Amino acid sequence: MRLPAIALGLLWAVTVIVFLLLYVPLAIPILSSFFTIAHGEVQWNDPSLGSYAVLAGNAGILEAVTNTLIVGSSATLLASACGTLLALHYCGGKSLAREAMQFAVYLPFLMPPIITGLSLLIFFRETGIARSLLTVIAAHTVFVLALTYRTIVVRLQSIGPEMIEASTDLGASTWQTFIHIILPILSSTLIGAGVLSFALSFDETMITLLVTGTDSTLPIRLWAMMRLGFTPDINALVAIILALTTLICIVAVRLLLPAELEQDG
Amino acid sequence: MIFVGSARVGFWARLLAAFSYGLPVVLIVAPLVSFLAYSFFHMEGGQIVTDVSLVNYKRFFTDTIFIPILFKTCLLCMAVALLAVLIGFPVAFLLSNLKGRRRYFMLLMVLVPLLMSYIIKIYAIRSILGGSGFLNRFLLWTGVIDAPLTFFVFNLNAVLLTLTILLIPFAILPIFLSLERIPRSLLEASSDLGASASQTFLRIVLPLTLPGIVTAATFVFVLAIGDFLTPQMVGGQSGFTFGRIVYSQFGAAFNWPFGAALAIILALVVIVMIALGSRLEDRGT
Repeated sequence: MRLPAIALGLLWAVTVIVFLLLYVPLAIPILSSFFTIAHGEVQWNDPSLGSYAVLAGNAGILEAVTNTLIVGSSATLLASACGTLLALHYCGGKSLAREAMQFAVYLPFLMPPIITGLSLLIFFRETGIARSLLTVIAAHTVFVLALTYRTIVVRLQSIGPEMIEASTDLGASTWQTFIHIILPILSSTLIGAGVLSFALSFDETMITLLVTGTDSTLPIRLWAMMRLGFTPDINALVAIILALTTLICIVAVRLLLPAELEQDG
Repeated sequence: MIFVGSARVGFWARLLAAFSYGLPVVLIVAPLVSFLAYSFFHMEGGQIVTDVSLVNYKRFFTDTIFIPILFKTCLLCMAVALLAVLIGFPVAFLLSNLKGRRRYFMLLMVLVPLLMSYIIKIYAIRSILGGSGFLNRFLLWTGVIDAPLTFFVFNLNAVLLTLTILLIPFAILPIFLSLERIPRSLLEASSDLGASASQTFLRIVLPLTLPGIVTAATFVFVLAIGDFLTPQMVGGQSGFTFGRIVYSQFGAAFNWPFGAALAIILALVVIVMIALGSRLEDRGT
């Protein structure tokens, strides 16, 4: 649809404002990371990389980053494995029980995180499970399971039964069919869902806050620090995380976007 | 679908079924049930008493502070949803009109901030909005104002602004997806038949994106009402929201059963909103 010039101008104006709203809160800590901070004020005339050096020596933050990576990768692997199993069962037939299972899997994603977090908190207390990094992993797995399960079901349903029937007719066992037919078809879906799950887990704050014990992940550490005000090394950390995520996004887009889009652009 | 034609697989199929029902029952259904059960318990002398009663719900309906705060919180989150959709729509519309790679690049740029730490963003917005924050200092410096503005400093307005900024991407994405699904041929047919750009927009584009708009608003509302950290950080004393009250029952107030009951009420509000949203979507298509 061809837009009149005025309309186009207005649309661009709103878009620019929205991008400013989205990016200024990110730009402030990143810019500050390259300058000296004295008495809580950024010294704009004194560029330095001091905050990066401080970050390298901040054991508390580095431990929180390690915890976050452990939780993220464990939850992603567990949710991918469980999601695949549940999806295989769901696609194995039609029944009310399967629909009920699917509904239950979606619940932690549909409900506000405070509900998911509180119900797990009460459950862990009732069953006498002490809060630790393990309970955080369990909570994150439940949270991202809805996403991995959903993407795998969609992919499985697009295969259709012919491929599996053919494999069985040719004498493959169930296990062989799974390894040689289903898993290769699912591989790209699993990678995509895995990246997204990891990203969700990396920044999950509200559920984690309720189910964590003394070990804190990065968002929890930041939340605890925020009341006192951030030290300069947090700015450096933000800059590094943003640089890494942007890089991963660029690579992902290069790899995943179909080639025909590249041409008509 | 994987278990076909072989008798030996019966065992494995049953095992898979057992796992598939067992996992959600243990980690999702059982916690929700114990959560629901807690809402019928009550506290006595710092101990949780497991007698089933409606005392928590009675307190919610009879105490004069909870219903007004819930109502105020709902209004706040509706305002966030409305604002996010109003400014998200033009962006989604522009993106859907871009060609090829640029369109997806811009979409990605909208989504990248979601990957960034939520706490850091709140903190940065806080440093912009505060009484001596960047915004006030900038306005003073340009001479637009003489004294620092206070209407957005640590109150409900600040919560409204912060939540909107944080949640805009969730409004843009569904609207963009529904705009993208409109077939080009429909727009061409409309202009071939003599419709102006604004007529095509009002009669073709807007009705067809209504489901996307409703999804966007529901999304933003649900995310906003469940957020208890943002109000805590930028809301100050006056910016009390329902989520904050629920959370405080598990911290300072230490009344888990009452907190569970309040959270159940919050869940009911969310369910009603999702149901309303999907009704509206069905009518739109």
